[in-house]
Amino acid sequence: MTQTMHRETRVKARAARPPRRRGGFLPALGRFSLFALPGLLAYTLFVLVPIGMTGYNSLTNLNPFNPPTQFVGLRNYVNLLSDAEFHQALLNTVIITAIITVLANVGGLLIAMLLDRPTKLYVLLRGVFFTPVVLSSVVISVIWQAILTDDGLLNSALRGLGIDEPPGWLSDPDLAIYSIAWIMAWQMLGFCVVVYLAGLQGVPRELNEAASIDGAGPLQRFRNVTWPMLAPALTINVVMLLITGFKAYDQVRVITNGGPGNGTTVTMAFQVVQTAFVSNRIGYSSALAAVMLAIVAFISVVVLRFLQKREVSQ
Amino acid sequence: MNARPIVATFVGVVFFLPLYLVLVNIFKPSAAVVADPAGLPFPPTFDNLAAVLNRPDHLFTFGLINSIAVTALSVTVLTVFSAMLGHYLARSRHWAAKVVMGTLLCGLMIPVPVIMAPITTVLKWFDLMTTLQGLVLVNVGYYVPFGVLLFMGFVRGVPLELEEAAALDGANRFRVFWQVVFPLLRPASASVMIFLGVWIWNDFLTPLIVLGPDSGTTVTVGVYRAIGQYQSDFGSVFAFMFLATLPILVFYLALQKNFVKGLTGGAVKG
Repeated sequence: MTQTMHRETRVKARAARPPRRRGGFLPALGRFSLFALPGLLAYTLFVLVPIGMTGYNSLTNLNPFNPPTQFVGLRNYVNLLSDAEFHQALLNTVIITAIITVLANVGGLLIAMLLDRPTKLYVLLRGVFFTPVVLSSVVISVIWQAILTDDGLLNSALRGLGIDEPPGWLSDPDLAIYSIAWIMAWQMLGFCVVVYLAGLQGVPRELNEAASIDGAGPLQRFRNVTWPMLAPALTINVVMLLITGFKAYDQVRVITNGGPGNGTTVTMAFQVVQTAFVSNRIGYSSALAAVMLAIVAFISVVVLRFLQKREVSQ
Repeated sequence: MNARPIVATFVGVVFFLPLYLVLVNIFKPSAAVVADPAGLPFPPTFDNLAAVLNRPDHLFTFGLINSIAVTALSVTVLTVFSAMLGHYLARSRHWAAKVVMGTLLCGLMIPVPVIMAPITTVLKWFDLMTTLQGLVLVNVGYYVPFGVLLFMGFVRGVPLELEEAAALDGANRFRVFWQVVFPLLRPASASVMIFLGVWIWNDFLTPLIVLGPDSGTTVTVGVYRAIGQYQSDFGSVFAFMFLATLPILVFYLALQKNFVKGLTGGAVKG
């Protein structure tokens, strides 16, 4: 008893008085340069300065092959409003994001509940679902391209089953964007499974047993016991998938390169990169990038806040 | 009657089908890939793997060397820099430390395409465009917030008394960090290395732009370059991908055990 009190006072005393440092400005500067500066310098040079440059360039008509560069104010942003390609890219990005968020979350939750057992079979299956998460999206894209392309493995199989004109999964302008979304959802599924499994393992068994004794059926138990306890897992998965969707680039570049037809699978990230590195319109690309960053920031902050509030209120 | 194992196995098999197709078709000649894509490779051929290793343009072998160099260097530098910075920020009581932390957190959500064009400008200032060093530096700058975030959480679990005791015994700041703190952060180092190793190995846009089309590239970008040439020769493409993925998969599986051990190791001390 006295010992605990003694310890408490000691802890309080330490909290009140910062630990003595071998003081002085020069040693502090030395510590900073040694421990903090290397990381901060790299971060400043390759993230902070570029962000500032993107912001500044978005107000100019910078094009290295078409000088002189002039300050154009908000003209790039105004032009965005009437840019049909941008509207299509925004719509495509929203479609992809919506599909992968719903598909990977619903699928991930169902599979996590299916695999929530400790025996070897289920541990092995967890590994199976997680494998695509560890693979490069380039690799995943190439695998699915081989499957979904017109004379690919899927259509060969369908023809074998007697379907003479199987769909052009990647060549049909109305279909390609959904194929891309499906591929991304397939890759992200394992991430959701693992996060939901961690959430399920945090649900106390007593709670479910108590609800069961009180006469709650499996659906009621899920609705009132398990689901509320999974709120933090849902937050992680939704935010992660929203951001992944809005960043979608690799799959488009590898599989369709924006086509088929006129930009039917162009995403915002893809348009940013193409405008900068193919059309060399750095100024306009920067305005696109700024809008994209604003959306991602909005999702990260607002959606995260909203979902976390929901966690608390449940 | 318990349907769970049957349903679970069935769903797992369907999900795994695309990866199965890769694994079996690596060992088949082109004709067999088209005729019978799902069948087992019998008798197996190693021509596809040999062709990738013996490419006259060395796309795979040079890419592999580049990937190993870039990933190993980036991850090592990142582990050291973010452990030091994370420790510094976690222990600092200066108000500026909070501002720095907030700025780093913002960096976590910035998508690469947003800063890609200016990154090339910065690299040109230092004449580092199309060099492996340039790519390593970009990786370090971009991923340092993630490392710092992870290390800061762990540093808070290291008792300050340990550092004070070492300082009383006459160790300077540098020795306190490297001989007392850093070894205790091993689980954090393992997680940082797993995550960043996998991410950097798998990166596509950054090496594609930074290394450019003329000089060599990484294996992951090599997969992208290879598909254009092979067209629909799936066996060769799959073999290329398989070999490009194998090193990072081995790295992941090897470190993952360590990672779990590190986590549970701390739990026993109580």
